[in-house]
Amino acid sequence: MSTILADRNFVVQASRDRVWRLIGKVIFSTLPGMEQVEILDENSFRALLKMKLSGVGLTMRLKGEMVDVSPPQSFAVRLSIDGPGGLQMDQKVSIALTPLEKGKTAIAFKATAEKMGILMRSFFLGPARRFAQSTFEAIEKRLQELA
Amino acid sequence: MKVKIPEKWDMEYDVVVVGWGAAGTAAAVTAHDRGARVLILEKMPDGGGNTRICGGNIIIPKGKEFIDYLDSLSFKTTERGIIETFVEYAIKNGDWIREMGADVQVFAPLEVAYPTMIAGAGFPHLPGAETVVKYNIKGTPQEGKPSQRLWKFLSGLVSKRGIQVLTGTPAKELIMNLEGEVIGVLAEKESKAVQIKARRALILTCGGFENDPGMKWDYLPVKPVLFLGTPANTGDGIRMVQKIGGDIWHMTRLSCLVGFKAPEFEAAFWVAFLSEGFIFVDKYGRRFVNEAGIEIHEYYRELSRFDVEEMEFPRVPMYAIFDEQTRRRGPLSRGTAGYNRDLYNWSLDNSAEIAKGWISTGKTAAELASRISIDPQVLAATVERYNHNCQSGKDPDFGRAREDLRALEPPLYAIQLWPALINTQGGPRRDKEARVLDPDGRPIPRLYAAGELGSIWGYLYQGACNIGEGLVFGRIAGRNAAGEKPWS
Repeated sequence: MSTILADRNFVVQASRDRVWRLIGKVIFSTLPGMEQVEILDENSFRALLKMKLSGVGLTMRLKGEMVDVSPPQSFAVRLSIDGPGGLQMDQKVSIALTPLEKGKTAIAFKATAEKMGILMRSFFLGPARRFAQSTFEAIEKRLQELA
Repeated sequence: MKVKIPEKWDMEYDVVVVGWGAAGTAAAVTAHDRGARVLILEKMPDGGGNTRICGGNIIIPKGKEFIDYLDSLSFKTTERGIIETFVEYAIKNGDWIREMGADVQVFAPLEVAYPTMIAGAGFPHLPGAETVVKYNIKGTPQEGKPSQRLWKFLSGLVSKRGIQVLTGTPAKELIMNLEGEVIGVLAEKESKAVQIKARRALILTCGGFENDPGMKWDYLPVKPVLFLGTPANTGDGIRMVQKIGGDIWHMTRLSCLVGFKAPEFEAAFWVAFLSEGFIFVDKYGRRFVNEAGIEIHEYYRELSRFDVEEMEFPRVPMYAIFDEQTRRRGPLSRGTAGYNRDLYNWSLDNSAEIAKGWISTGKTAAELASRISIDPQVLAATVERYNHNCQSGKDPDFGRAREDLRALEPPLYAIQLWPALINTQGGPRRDKEARVLDPDGRPIPRLYAAGELGSIWGYLYQGACNIGEGLVFGRIAGRNAAGEKPWS
């Protein structure tokens, strides 16, 4: 059963093709604490994600794969996240771009937790939601700047 | 013209293929499937050449408008008829791969690195660019990188058919008869000469001259230029064809990135950045280019400026200057492609390479400059101006796009970079039937060529076209070679 972590819809003053070209680099540059990114394949990567939870620094192991890629309309990133103490969560982030009139593009982000144990849900559902929401906000801010 | 017909042949085949990469495989398999008895000669201990260590993508255009696109890129260096033939066959590359038992998937990369691996056309403003679609052999990362999956598929075609392969056996000389036909090849196996008869034809698919310093110095527009691909490509096919009077073309053309050279490794390391926090400077510490705007195969154009006053290439070597965030973001040398890919694991945070001294570091730009023998004042001024441009969101100096601008924050790092070849494109001139031509444009009987050895890419290069071209002209050469009447 999937749990919605965050969703965000906004419009930018840029063509869909331009947003498509920007989106990968914007996501990568916006994710705070993303380090040691290893490109495994042109659609897959591994990385460390350093984040703070209640003031405590945590290092999560992240594995990502682009799926359902349909340029320049949509794609999804399937994320597998491993934290300390055996914490594990699978997420799927879906991104859809819809062209609007006057050169604008509507962008829809949605993040869902695909697999979340009781321990993970108890401790990490709230922080995961805040992290996803703040990341989407940062992506929107950056795209608005660049549009 | 030399004529040396052996009194006794050591081996005898219908078709002999020299070089075992994508083109050699397509040629050998096609000739075999048309009934020819085929031998592949490979100078290295294993096959694969650049095919097994490249990006692994294959062009399969989605329309004949691709002809116009390639015609523009060729800048009249390749006859349109050859391009038309290429496109006719390239459209069917996917069908051929499926007939051979594999499948393809569209290449849709994460466009997150500099230089950027892009899905579409390298020159999207040209007519026909919309027809560019790259594919690779269908599979998962667990089944290998695209080029590993490609080579597993291709080498499997050869082994399944039981086609004879002699590895560690470089071809040395083509053997012609009195009629000017190529009738065999002199090779070398374990320091012994081996004379091999080719009853129907001989096909050269043995790559370019990335690892021949003399040829590179003679022909390429920037000097010196290192290589990222296989060390096996030393211009053997070019010399063999020149000795029998063949013509050559496209000798000044190359696909060229930038790479780092460690003395203990034969090939250079391909270097890329996973964050926008980097700049390039020449050997005097001056920026010279929009670092994020260089087409991935065309770096040499920016590096080949020659200073006639100083009699030097001021951008060779150059330096990449990058910051802490970029260092921590990921390894500078990605594992996707290059000869060193399987020989060395670059550390994920670049710390091992700092410890080795491959990457220099400084708390300030001036301190970093002093470690790489650049005037500290010049580099400090360069970084200060670049950071000012980032803060204003505009790069009036070189037009780097706003999305690619981020101020460099100390500590700073530097890595020395050289022009580094993916491959050269020059070699024997050939026609649309893959026949090698003499300087008068006449085919040399029973001699064919395909792949990077004299490829059809004579000016600008579209990514994924070398593998695509190897498969196309390999098939054509294999078909025509098998169709020749035996000379004996």
